[in-house]
Amino acid sequence: MHEESLVRSLLHQVEELARQHHATEVEDIEVEIGPLSGVESLLVQEAFERLKDGCKWPNCTLTITPVGLMVFCNQCSEESELFDFQFICTHCGSTSLRILSGDAFRLLNVRMQIESAG
Amino acid sequence: MVSDMTVQTISVNQDVLAAKKQRATEQRERFTAQGTFVVNLVSSPGAGKTSLLQATAKHWAGRFQTGVLVGDLATDRDAERLRPWFPVEQLTTGGACHLELSLVQQGLSRLPQQPYEFLFIENIGNLVCPASHDLGEHLRVVVLSTTEGDDKPGKYPKMFRTSQLMVISKCDLLPYVPFKVDAAIKDARLIQPDMFSIQTSAVHDEGLNDWCLFLENARTEMLSSRDSAAARNITAELPSELR
Repeated sequence: MHEESLVRSLLHQVEELARQHHATEVEDIEVEIGPLSGVESLLVQEAFERLKDGCKWPNCTLTITPVGLMVFCNQCSEESELFDFQFICTHCGSTSLRILSGDAFRLLNVRMQIESAG
Repeated sequence: MVSDMTVQTISVNQDVLAAKKQRATEQRERFTAQGTFVVNLVSSPGAGKTSLLQATAKHWAGRFQTGVLVGDLATDRDAERLRPWFPVEQLTTGGACHLELSLVQQGLSRLPQQPYEFLFIENIGNLVCPASHDLGEHLRVVVLSTTEGDDKPGKYPKMFRTSQLMVISKCDLLPYVPFKVDAAIKDARLIQPDMFSIQTSAVHDEGLNDWCLFLENARTEMLSSRDSAAARNITAELPSELR
């Protein structure tokens, strides 16, 4: 499974972001996982627990926000949520659909402690 | 001056693979510029990717300058099978379940006789992880063999959703296996309505004509859209009175 390599990429991105913001601590990383993201939430969580000990913020938590597979219909311009990977518009039956969400493993937010001079 | 801690939430909202996808897009543009049409072949282990490439070599009989990168967890058996036909480089992942662009670029730097008209990347046999990784290819081909069952597309939606062509291989075995070609195509098109499909039998040289023609046409299309884009750019650079 490739979850470990993706979580490693995620941690690199967060480290870079923390460096840019001069963060002293990263408290929480929020990611979005959808049905077509190609990763399994449980395996992502497990990979994170394994890998975070080796990163700079061993107390950091991972919040996984599930997201549905949402599509936009090019025919009737309506949005639908697909539950069974059958790419058929639930409004008009067209198969000309564009994915709006649910096909990626996304980094949403990073909560960090930042030292500010006051 | 007193130093103070504030807690801030930084919004990123970006695909974890965004940087890798960007690098893949740049690699694809380089391939396009040198006229190399790149095919990423994916399937479960033993579906017949290597046999399809051997049959392709026989069919083309040297008509196109072609290179092959072949990924496996261990051994260079596939590379050995292909070496009589193509310049080939084995990518051994040592346990990784998919190929990544960096590995492809490394292999590419060792391949002789470039640039190619076609480059095949034979991915690790796995219908899950390779689906998430763009290797800079122009075409993703999923090979589904008749011995695997016609219910696979629905079970591996991401792989079939991200492929443009499904090759149904080992069609010579159709009389002996409970595989329905129509059912497999129908199942694949529920996930990927634009999926093309070709039926082949590498051992009997069936469907190879369709397969090779598909690749040749796809490459011609790539070249003409590249050249017309270049022509558009030149026109855009001209002073308006000359346009």
